[in-house]
Amino acid sequence: MSAAGPPRGANHAPSGGVGVPSSAGEPILAVENLVTAFRTGGGWHPAVRDVSFAVQHNETLAIVGESGCGKSVTALSIMGLVPPANGRVAGGHIRFAGRDLAALGEEEMRKIRGDRISMIFQEPMTSLNPVLTIGFQVAEALQYHRDMGRREAAAAALELLDQVKIPSARQRFADYPHQFSGGMRQRVMIAMALACRPELLLADEPTTALDVTIQAEVLALLAELKAAYGMAMVFITHNLGVVASIADRVAAMYAGEIVEIAPVNELFARPTHPYTELLLRSIPRVDRDTVSLAAIAGQVPAIGAMPSGCRFAPRCPLREPVCTERDPPLVPLRDAPDHQVRCWLRAPPGGGGHA
Amino acid sequence: MSGDTATVPIAPRGSSYALQQLTRAFSANATSWIGLVIFLLVVALALLAPLISPYDPLDQDILARLQGPSAAHWFGTDSYGRDILSRLLWGARLSLVISTVSILAAVVIGGAIGILAGYVGGRFDMVVMQAMDVLLSFPSLIMGLMVVAMLGASMGNLMIAIALTAIAPFARIARAPTILVKERDYIEACRALGYSDLRIMTIHILPNIVAEILVMASLWLATAIRIEASLSFIGLGVRPPTATWGGMIREGFENILDSVSLSIFPSLAILLVVFSLNMLGDGLRDAIDPKMRGGE
Repeated sequence: MSAAGPPRGANHAPSGGVGVPSSAGEPILAVENLVTAFRTGGGWHPAVRDVSFAVQHNETLAIVGESGCGKSVTALSIMGLVPPANGRVAGGHIRFAGRDLAALGEEEMRKIRGDRISMIFQEPMTSLNPVLTIGFQVAEALQYHRDMGRREAAAAALELLDQVKIPSARQRFADYPHQFSGGMRQRVMIAMALACRPELLLADEPTTALDVTIQAEVLALLAELKAAYGMAMVFITHNLGVVASIADRVAAMYAGEIVEIAPVNELFARPTHPYTELLLRSIPRVDRDTVSLAAIAGQVPAIGAMPSGCRFAPRCPLREPVCTERDPPLVPLRDAPDHQVRCWLRAPPGGGGHA
Repeated sequence: MSGDTATVPIAPRGSSYALQQLTRAFSANATSWIGLVIFLLVVALALLAPLISPYDPLDQDILARLQGPSAAHWFGTDSYGRDILSRLLWGARLSLVISTVSILAAVVIGGAIGILAGYVGGRFDMVVMQAMDVLLSFPSLIMGLMVVAMLGASMGNLMIAIALTAIAPFARIARAPTILVKERDYIEACRALGYSDLRIMTIHILPNIVAEILVMASLWLATAIRIEASLSFIGLGVRPPTATWGGMIREGFENILDSVSLSIFPSLAILLVVFSLNMLGDGLRDAIDPKMRGGE
């Protein structure tokens, strides 16, 4: 534990320190043309295709979409955790603080994971080791990445548990996960993920498994910690209500592609891609008399059976012949350059737009 | 948990929860208690051998050869006039040391192989486990013969032979739960925290499977005592005049027409220890039965 190695203090505050200092305005994370493929039935099929987005310091980008749209695969690709047996990042770049993660070896990637980029998962009930105490599991990341001694790490872990608002953290430090509720476990997961003060947090549906009141508490906690730590966050969810409360920008994904990306207010005010529009329309509202829920007909196409042309075309109410013939590009709207849409009809390349 | 911890509690390293659970389930089981008590009694007698044995185990008394039980020699004497009780007590030390050391070695080596194979998976797993199957195909006596033929008869080589026999079963018993545990979400979470494979295997997987290995170890301890006796019986074990249980049975066998006590008492001793360890192991196995851990 106490083996040599340079002392690591605030070596990655967003600006300066070891590594490539990132100048203001340069995004902390830039995903460029990411392709992640899986092997199914003998062939490689992209689960994520040509995905590009950037996340600025302190920014929260929400990725929304139905199950199976490639949201989680995108996050796993950034973490370098695509299962090597049947998956791989097949193309593109993942630039994080000036380095291309897609080109890094496993050993270098391991130093970044849990330290500079962290991830929290959907299932707090099963994401903690049942035979190790809460305190040990939170302290472990600090011991591992920061070469802290056990006492020092335990003290820091206790502080973290206080920060994520575990009641009487000192008494509960030596408790085991089964003595915690789901919401409390998710707080512990957050404490573990934030132990090393990462610059980027990937949150993969962190509130989906929690009941609604606990969801709100955990979201508030995440927002508070994000502000306190100055982290960037990629928040994956299918819950648009959550998006509205936490995100700065939103990317809607469908069948492995980003179909629309825009600042959150812009997206809610003016959903332009038919998929986003239908997604927003399908939110049940408490302030209206709803007899039936609006649903999008059909299903996300299987990974091995992608339609040609626009992937949403088979389910799209606006479908025209061009949609099934050629892939639409992701293009900015003419009057809003930070609002990009992938649709032949709503955002034709080289003009038009949805004014 | 304690109410008023004045200092920050130090994080435990590993398996305490699994062990807690094991002891809780274990304490409800009467048979395993009987087994444990008998076994500990034998261990105590073996440890106290220098103090309580009535004679030196190597002292010969040619005038008192092959006697039956008497007030002077409770269990009688052997063909050199040595006191059987004293030799049994001293022999217990050797039998216990040999079985414990060899099983410990098998647990460590076999357990490491099993966890590694289960964790890495794929072709590596296949090759390693096939090698284990090859090892498993040698009966313990044949393994003993081979080791002794190659290295010579000695206590150390006896332990090597027993350990070689037991490595493959421990590799199997460690591999199966490793394959289950490595797919759990918390192992994925460990990867997301950047932990090394070695750390994941030793700190996160091992404590989850340690109970299974312990149960197996208690059962194999009995087997090791049996193997030691068998190998000593056919003359592949510890050299005379040192007392071991298997060696004593062999000497008793040679003189069985003149005196039966030299055959009977060491056999009873082996029976008692094997029986107690099996009761202990069965109790432990019941304790980790999945239906007992349902509330996890």
